[in-house]
Amino acid sequence: MCLGIESTAHTFGASLVDDQDRIVTNVNSTYRPPVGVGIHPRKASEHLASVADSIVKTALSTRDGSSIDPDVIAYAAGPGLGPCLRIGATVARALSSFLKRPLVPVHHGVAHLDIAMSITKAHDPLAVLVSGGHTSILVHVGKRWRVYGETQDITLGNLLDMFAREAKLPSPGGLSVSREATKGENLIKLPYTVKGNDVAYSGLLTAAATSLRRQGNLADLCFSLQETAFSMLSEAVERSLVQTRRSEVLLAGGVAASQRLRQMIGLVAEDHGASFHPVPIEYSGDCGAQIACSGRLAYESGITVSTSDSFVTPRWRMDEVDVPWIPRT
Amino acid sequence: MDTSNLASTLLHRGAEADLSLATVGPWRVVVKRRVKKDYRNPSLDEQIRHDRTISEASQIHEAKTGGARVPSLVGMDLENNAIVMTHIAGTVARECLDELSAKEARKLLRSVGAQIGLLHTAGIVHGDLTTSNVIVSPSGAPFIVDFGMSHRSVEPEDRGVDLHLLQRSIVASHSQDSSSMMNATIRGYERTAGKKIATSTWRKAREIARRGRYFAIR
Repeated sequence: MCLGIESTAHTFGASLVDDQDRIVTNVNSTYRPPVGVGIHPRKASEHLASVADSIVKTALSTRDGSSIDPDVIAYAAGPGLGPCLRIGATVARALSSFLKRPLVPVHHGVAHLDIAMSITKAHDPLAVLVSGGHTSILVHVGKRWRVYGETQDITLGNLLDMFAREAKLPSPGGLSVSREATKGENLIKLPYTVKGNDVAYSGLLTAAATSLRRQGNLADLCFSLQETAFSMLSEAVERSLVQTRRSEVLLAGGVAASQRLRQMIGLVAEDHGASFHPVPIEYSGDCGAQIACSGRLAYESGITVSTSDSFVTPRWRMDEVDVPWIPRT
Repeated sequence: MDTSNLASTLLHRGAEADLSLATVGPWRVVVKRRVKKDYRNPSLDEQIRHDRTISEASQIHEAKTGGARVPSLVGMDLENNAIVMTHIAGTVARECLDELSAKEARKLLRSVGAQIGLLHTAGIVHGDLTTSNVIVSPSGAPFIVDFGMSHRSVEPEDRGVDLHLLQRSIVASHSQDSSSMMNATIRGYERTAGKKIATSTWRKAREIARRGRYFAIR
């Protein structure tokens, strides 16, 4: 049994994954900022600290009320907000030394891909990771994920969240924007920026926000923002798929919950004869289960850290992490 | 010209276009037709395909005028979002690079670098420069193809994107030592673009790489 602890940004999560890769428990609590405001790192970390003990306790309890003793403790070491990362790391270190169990540092983005691959049975896919922290197209070469394409400025999650904030729509922004988008039908021309396999979203955000301030129709703007932003990513994914010739496309991360994005990336995969592996919506957002899943795989590959050498790192690229457990069998 | 009735055989299905081989007058030609994308909103799709077809034709022409080894424009068919250009025989660099010795690979990339320098001094950036978009002729001369994402610019930023994308495609797809490959590319680039442009472009390319998410500040 591997206990995974997530606390990179707005979510504190704890989860148990067993040796057969099954998710046994998965308990999460997410900090929601007031409408029109972003995540304040200190306020988010205060929320995480206040819920940590009850979340861990619940995740370690069986249905009949007895407590499970995990074999391994995994924690999200980065990337993320410093104050938030330190909460999860502190809890993990304490559990590790108290229970005398090995400690495993996990990369949050790698973990998004690991849980998606586990559940959807992907082997060696072209991975599309879309969240508040990442917008990357990756393939596994050698021991690491290699970035084939990525955003050159803000992420897709940032784009949707920041636009939602401007429009005074509630968090999570992606969900609010997609709800409004279903009511829109007129496509407004917005900047469409694809550079090779990369995308850039800041110009799109500025144009959409400016149009909103000029009393543009909110539903049409949400519709156009989504269509433009997702088309850009889909095009970059299609290019990467043709170049890498992978036969599977994985879609993971919080924005993978978007039905329209799932539809578009699914069509790209289908068009090139690749199978499509979208993460189930309940495991798309940040959760303890992703850390437990990735931590178990890392532990089996011999990756552990002593309490005194354990670390958190707010900046940590996907292509700097050894991931020897891929391709998955 | 109308390409809809042209007898042609499908050569390659790219990400955004189908390439077919045909004969027009004395020329062996490639017809590049931008196909409809079902994932895209129809009006957005039509607009993107139309704009890029016109832009690509004009960049190919400009690149040729600037002295770069690129296909020649034979005609275009806006009704079908297609352009017609001369066929370049050879192998794609992506396929042959790993089979070359380190020395031969460096020589090829010096030559690729020189071609990029010619494009840049002609005021064109390629926009999608990967080893898949370089065709090596039987004599070993590299041709730059696929101007679908190219545009006119003399900004170091845009020029830097070209070298950045090429570097990433070398790192991601090839086992050859990427830093010596890039060194060779830059030496070739410097030969046609001059030291000043080469220095500013390469500085920008490294800056763009660092701009990716979560690079530790170095």
